Formats: sequence, C-alpha cells, structure tokens
Amino acid sequence: MAAHRHFYLFISPYFILFAVLGLYPLIFSFVLSFARWDGLTELRWVGFSNFVNLFGDEVLLDAIWNTVVLGLMYVPPMLAGAFFLAILLNASWLRCRAWVRAAVFLPVITPMVVVAVVFGLLYDFEHGILNYGLQRLGLPAIPWLLSEHWSKPSLALVLIWRWTGYNMVLMLAGLQSISKEFYEAAVLDGAGPFQRMRHVTLPLMRPVFVFCTIMSLIGTVYLFDEIFVLTAGGPGTSSMNIGLYLFNLSFSDFRFGYASTLAYVTAFIVFLASLFVLRFQSREGD
Amino acid sequence: MMPAFTSAYPNVGVTINMSGTQLQARFMLSLVAGVGAPDVSQLQLQEVPRYSCTGRLADLTLVAAKYRDAFPENVWKDCMYEGRIYAIPWDIGPCAVFYKRDLFEQYGVDVTAIQTWDDYIAAGERILEASGGKTKMLFYPTGFQEILFEMLLRQSGGQVFDENGRIAVNSPESLAVLNVLRRFVKTGISANTQYWSQPFFASFNTESVATYPMAVWFGGFIRDYAPAKSGAWGVFPLPALTPGGLRTSSYGGSALVIPAQCAQKDAAWAFIEFALCRRDSQLGHYRSFDLFPAMTTVYDDPFFDERVEYFGGQQVRRLFTADVERIPAMNRTKDWVETVSYLRQSLGHWSSDDMENPEDFLRALETRLARRLDREVSPRSLSLKAKAHGESVN
Amino acid sequence: MDTFEHPAHWDLLKRGALYVLLVALALLFMFPFYWLFISAFKSKEAIFTLPPQFIPDPWRLSNFLEVFRETTIVRAFANTTVIAAGHCTLTLFLCSLGGYAFAAYPHAPGRDKLFAFVLATMMIPGVVTLIPVFVVLCKLHVVNTYTAMIVPGAANAFGIFWMRQAVQQNVYHDLLDAARIDGCGEFGIYWRIVLPLLRPALAALGILVLINNWNNLMWAFIVLRTEDMYTLPLTIYLLQGELRTPYGQIMAASLIATAPLIVAFLVFQRHFIAGISSGAVKG
Repeated sequence: MAAHRHFYLFISPYFILFAVLGLYPLIFSFVLSFARWDGLTELRWVGFSNFVNLFGDEVLLDAIWNTVVLGLMYVPPMLAGAFFLAILLNASWLRCRAWVRAAVFLPVITPMVVVAVVFGLLYDFEHGILNYGLQRLGLPAIPWLLSEHWSKPSLALVLIWRWTGYNMVLMLAGLQSISKEFYEAAVLDGAGPFQRMRHVTLPLMRPVFVFCTIMSLIGTVYLFDEIFVLTAGGPGTSSMNIGLYLFNLSFSDFRFGYASTLAYVTAFIVFLASLFVLRFQSREGD
Repeated sequence: MMPAFTSAYPNVGVTINMSGTQLQARFMLSLVAGVGAPDVSQLQLQEVPRYSCTGRLADLTLVAAKYRDAFPENVWKDCMYEGRIYAIPWDIGPCAVFYKRDLFEQYGVDVTAIQTWDDYIAAGERILEASGGKTKMLFYPTGFQEILFEMLLRQSGGQVFDENGRIAVNSPESLAVLNVLRRFVKTGISANTQYWSQPFFASFNTESVATYPMAVWFGGFIRDYAPAKSGAWGVFPLPALTPGGLRTSSYGGSALVIPAQCAQKDAAWAFIEFALCRRDSQLGHYRSFDLFPAMTTVYDDPFFDERVEYFGGQQVRRLFTADVERIPAMNRTKDWVETVSYLRQSLGHWSSDDMENPEDFLRALETRLARRLDREVSPRSLSLKAKAHGESVN
Repeated sequence: MDTFEHPAHWDLLKRGALYVLLVALALLFMFPFYWLFISAFKSKEAIFTLPPQFIPDPWRLSNFLEVFRETTIVRAFANTTVIAAGHCTLTLFLCSLGGYAFAAYPHAPGRDKLFAFVLATMMIPGVVTLIPVFVVLCKLHVVNTYTAMIVPGAANAFGIFWMRQAVQQNVYHDLLDAARIDGCGEFGIYWRIVLPLLRPALAALGILVLINNWNNLMWAFIVLRTEDMYTLPLTIYLLQGELRTPYGQIMAASLIATAPLIVAFLVFQRHFIAGISSGAVKG
C-alpha cells in the first residue's frame, strides 16, 4: 500500500478540486432543480413543478427552434467548407500551407467580444461595408442584426467564419492520417480522382466527420459568447438559443431552480443524442 | 447637478458610472456576491420589489421618513417592502396620448371629444376611414401587448396580485381592459408593428400612425426623431375606461437605492438626499434630462405652466401632473419581471386565437400564473367567485 | 497524382488556379482582422464614413491615447495576463501530475475505476454547474478575486486524459526505475524527469488553455464585480454602452486584446494545431 501512496498523493489535488468545484456543484444543481431560489431569499421546494413547467415554456420553445434552425444554417456549410479547404491544403506540393491555415484558423482564437465589435461594424445598417457593397450592386440594404428574419442568418455567417478553421484543422489531420498506400492501391485499380474520393477518402474520413458533426451540434446547443455579444438573443427572441436562455435564466432572471432543471434536462438529451449518433455511426460502419 | 453636490459636500468623492449593458444582471450578481455594487444604484421602479425583499438593500426608513409627504403614496408603494423603505423615487411615468395635431385637423377629429377609450376607438375608426386605411390610430404590437395592458389595468385600479401576493388578475377590471384592447385589433385601427423598431421611429415623421398612448418620457423620443415636426404634435389626457373615470396612469419611472454592502452609507445617503429630495434637483433633472419629477411638491413651479412650442404651445407639463396622486398603486411582487413576461406570452397567444372569449383567457392566464409562479389564487378572483356562486345555487 | 497524364503547362495552370483560390479565401477570412486594424487607427467619424475608407486617412493614434487615458485597459491587460498565466500553470500542474500518476502506477488499486470516473466527467457540460460554482465561490468569499478566475476549470478531465497519453508515449518505465535506483524521490522523478519529456504536450495543452482563458467572457462577467478586476474581454464588452458606444476606443482596445493572441498563435502554431488535432483523432 505504501508503494501506491504516491499515486493517491499525485491525483489528490485534482480530485479535491474536482470535488469542490465539480462534484458538489453537480449534486447541488440536481437538488436545486426541485426548488425555486434566486440565490438570496429563502429557497422553496416545489417538487417536480420546474420539470412540468418546461412544457409550455414559450421562450424555451423559441430557443429550441432557434437552436435547430441556426444549427441547420451554419453546420452543413461550415463542415463542407472545412472539408473543401482541407482537401485543397492537403495537396502535397503546396507551399505556404501554414500561412493559409493560420489565416483560416485565426478567427478561432480571437476573443468573441472583438469578433462581435468588428462584425457589428461590418453589419451596421447605415454605415456598414456589407450594406454599402449591396447598395453599390443595386441591391437593398439588409437589416442584419436588427430584424427578426435576419438575426439568425447574420449569426450563422459569423459562426461559419469563426469555426471553419477549427474543423478544417481536424479534417486536415484526418486526411493526413490516411495512408498513401490506399491511394496507390486505388490508382493501380484504375480509380480516377472522383472514385478515389468516394471509395477511399470519404469512408476513411467518416469518424472525423462524425466527431466534427457531434461537436458542432453540441456547440450550437450551448453556444453563448457569439449570441450574447452580437444580438443578446434579439430582436425579440429571434436569436435566443438554449445556451443563452440558460444564462439569462441563471444570471439575469436569477431563477436558479428552473435554470438548473433546464440545464440537467438539456445535458441529458444532448448526451442521449450523442450516444444515438455514435451508435448509428458504428452500426453503419460495420 | 454634480458640481453643485461636490461643492456642498467637498469631502465626498463621486464617480459616476452609468456605462455598459446588462446593468440589472450585474447589479444582482453583485448583491448575491456581496461585493462590487456601486454605492448608489438606479433601478426601474417596477424592479425595486425584486431587490428590496432580498435584505441586501440598505433600509432607508428612518432617514427618508421626513420626505414621505413629498412623493405620492402610489410611488412609495414600489419602494417599500414589509413597511420599510428601500428606495427613493426619482422620476415617474404618468401617461397620456401623444397625437399628431395636423392629422387630427385634416380628418376633422376633435380631441376634446375623446373622453373614454370608446371615444378613442371611434375616433380611430374615423381617421382610418377618412385616410383610406393609410393612417392607423396606434401601434399595438401583438408581441408587446403587456405594456398597454399594464397601463390600462393600473388606470382602472385593477391588479395582477392582491396585497398578499395571490393572483388577482381574473377581475372585472381586467375584463374591461381586455375588451378595450381587443377592439384596438378588431376594428383594424392598430398597427401590429414592434415598438422601438425602424418603422416605429420612422412613423413619427409620416402619416402611418396618428396617436401614441405612452408615458411622459416618450415625448423626448418624439422630439429626437422628428425635430422638424415641431408644432404638429399635441398631447391629450389618457381616455378613461368609464365616463368620468381617471384619465391618467403610470408606466416606468425609477428610483435610487443603496446596497447593504456599501461601506459609506452616510455619504451615499447624502448623495441621494441631495439628488432626489431637493426641489432644485428634481426640477433640474426635469429641465435637463426630461425626467418627470416624482416629487409632487415641485409641481407648483412656473416651469410646469410654460407653453411647449413643440406640442403646439400646449401646457403639456401641467397636463402630466394632473391626478398623479390619484393613480392607483400596483401590488408588485419580487417575481414581477417574470410575471410580465408571462403576461406578454399569454396575450400574444390570445392574439393568435383572434382575441375571443376574454373570460376564458383570464381563467387560463390565472391558472398559468399560479402554476408558473407557484402562487395561490386570490379569493377575489372571478373564477373562485363563480365557483362559490355555483355551489350556493346547487 | 495524375501529373503524368497531362502536359506540364496544364498542370501549372491548375496549380496556379489553386493558389489564387487559396489566397482569395485566406484574404476573405482575414478581412475582419484588416477592418479591425484600420478602424483602430481611424477617427471616430471616419469609422462610419461612406464610402468606407479602406486606408485610414489620416492614420491616427488618438484612439489608443484615449483608451489608455480614459479606460482601465492597462489594468485589464495586467489582470488578464495574471489570470491566464495562473490558470494555465495550475491546469498544467494538476493535469500532468494526475496524468503521470495514472500512467506510471499501473498497480495502484482502484486506478482504472478512478480513471473511468475522470473520463465520465468529461461528458458533463459546464452550464450544469455554473450556478452552484458561483454560489460556492460566494460562500468562500473569493468572488471578484483572481482565484475565482484561475481555479474553476483547472481540474480539467481532458487535460488528465491527454497528459496520461503523453506520459505513456514519451516516458519509459525503465527510465523511471533507473531514477528510483539512483535514489530520486517520486516527486523528483515527476518534476525532473517526466515534466521535461512532456514539454511538447504541455505546450500544446498550455496554449489551448491559455487562449480559452484569455477569451473567457461569460465567467468573467459573472465573478468579476469591480472595474479594477475586469479582464480585457469584459472591459471591451462593457465599453459598449447602451446609449453611446465609443467605437474608436473599442477598436483600439480590441486590437490590444487580440494582438498577443495572434503573436502567440503564430509562434506556437505547430503545438496548437497538434493539440487541436489530437483532440479529434484520439478523443
């Protein structure tokens, strides 16, 4: 036992910290989901009524709808674009690959506040360069962040700009891990570029695609910074997603109990959905 | 005002920090954490109850006692919790109808004839018809009906909660208000366009909408967005719900509070006292920032009788002082803001149901509020009365 | 791959087209950065003039002077640096120590169960514990301190997982045994032998953690309550007043907040990309 003392000693800082700021909060939050509490006045037990109230919560319904629509708007083009870029960058003779990669990747590391400020300028209704460009082309100006119809597409555009680089790096790593032998064998079998793509690249890239898709979908549910700083969920609730709604419930409305309930239920559903996608994927792969 | 304060209290250093978004969230976070709240904070009157019940605001009952009579009781109501004072009123939002003088003249509508909401709707129909459908009477966005609902409910003396925080929204007063609101829509005199949107502001300069039933602070927006329309605007008192009824209401307004965590409460109080409890300050805020004084004792100032050229030489300031003390107080709870969001949602739904059967709507609203807010229904509720009546008949 | 099927000039043309396409895409992605850069050097009015100025005329430093004079940006920069460095160091220490323990003591009872537990915690999204962590920090009276920004999140399950893998790949048991025979203590082995071998993995994890912490807005918004504690993202966020936004200052502050990250990224690009990729390929 003495020999293993160091094992426990070395993992203890991690576990102590986790106990205080991970495990205890996890239990606390579960308990809170059966209560009504604003953090200051007395906590009141309400049984399952928080769970019942999830049904018929119209803002939540909006948030779910917006999350789905926003996800559909930006995830497919972003992943397609990332894959396209990864293929281009994977050409063996390409010089300056690192520079192009850096250019596409830089948005990922930029503080979201800064992104919001800059896009706020670009999207400005009267003085923004985007509307200036549109009007020069004889098209009408678009009320980017000001209208309920355009707030989601505007966000989607920012999200594509911000996260394409991240997915491109993942896909590039995936492409580079594919052994050259597969392609050589395919060429020997007389496969052209499209056939090689279809029968070698795409099947082998499948796990990366699945990973990127799952990460993007989870990311859409919990997306916060981007929406908080660009639209704060507005106009109306037109760009409110689940992540922002959770934040608002917690730290704007201070409905700690209900927020905990929603956080738990959301996490549970996201977990189940991820499991389902993974299951589906592994069965297809067999 | 700041130079005046620093010369009166040279020992008190003041930094004013009004910047930034999400003020309420930041204030509440600071209250919960017990650190970081400014020594003096401005809150919306309707939000004060949410904070005053937390015990994290300084109790101002003793020091504020001598100013009790300077402000109307209905405003103190929002500043108090369980008989203690936690906030000092700054400005209030008495309501009236801003209207376009030129349009009324053009279509031959006599403003003085509009005494009740029925008259108002009739005038709206006339304008709509005479303009060939071009000019609506008012903005009534289906997504924000709670604003006019609250304004008219307060005018009628109705409540959302009774004195004990039980749900009292199912009342004859609410029914009367809903009947007015639904006719705004059914008669076609209202425009379903969001407040504060581009078309909303643009309408100040066009003929699309003729009147704006709003609080006094709204006048500033009109002047800012339609500077060229000086003289073309006017104000008339809020139409009454019943002939001879109250012709004003209140919407908005703010107050100053001191967080309990404040280390220099004396200095903070000195500041509030200087800024809000003096005639000169309250008048100064009105002159410079268009903040309508909550202090009713200043209403005898000649400034209120001046004619305002922008509103066609009308004595609009005097108009807004009328009956301010008679506006019924609202019973607001700590979950008032949440309540308002449910009102908004429910009213929105009612619109998509063509605003039929206001009685059913009120019953459903009552049930919804009771469940969402985990509160009881007031014994005064129409639904309970109906039940009691039904039982006695059986 | 099919170079031998076509004449050389055709191939050259294809490559040229590809380069043009890539450069165009790179410029498109860089455009907001360009706009940020030039806007920071424009006057307040010039930021909104039409037609837009693609090159500031004239170049001005007034935004920077103003932002230094009128805001707490210098303090915010210092706060952000201390917080990011502290969080990064603590995370690397906890994760490498834990990861090393999980990799180097295969016979410790309960090891596999504990590791499975760590992996399971990776599934928990942060939002679930947001409120309780805030409440705990309130109870501990550390809200509005560096601690509140540095400590939460430092017990990073992904970091443990990653460091364990790095130890397995880079550190050989023979080496550890040899050190023990030489009389080196267990912590000494970790500190003097294992850590140096983990340098690339530490760099990769470190830069990821550093940038995430540097950019963190939500948590800063929650736990930093007074201006003297604000970080750069929070300062910039709160500069966006509800009524009048000082755009010139904001652009200058944004450039100041972003420049160190861009430099750090360009310097550590290799580690960074390796870090991100390993997350996908292994995780």
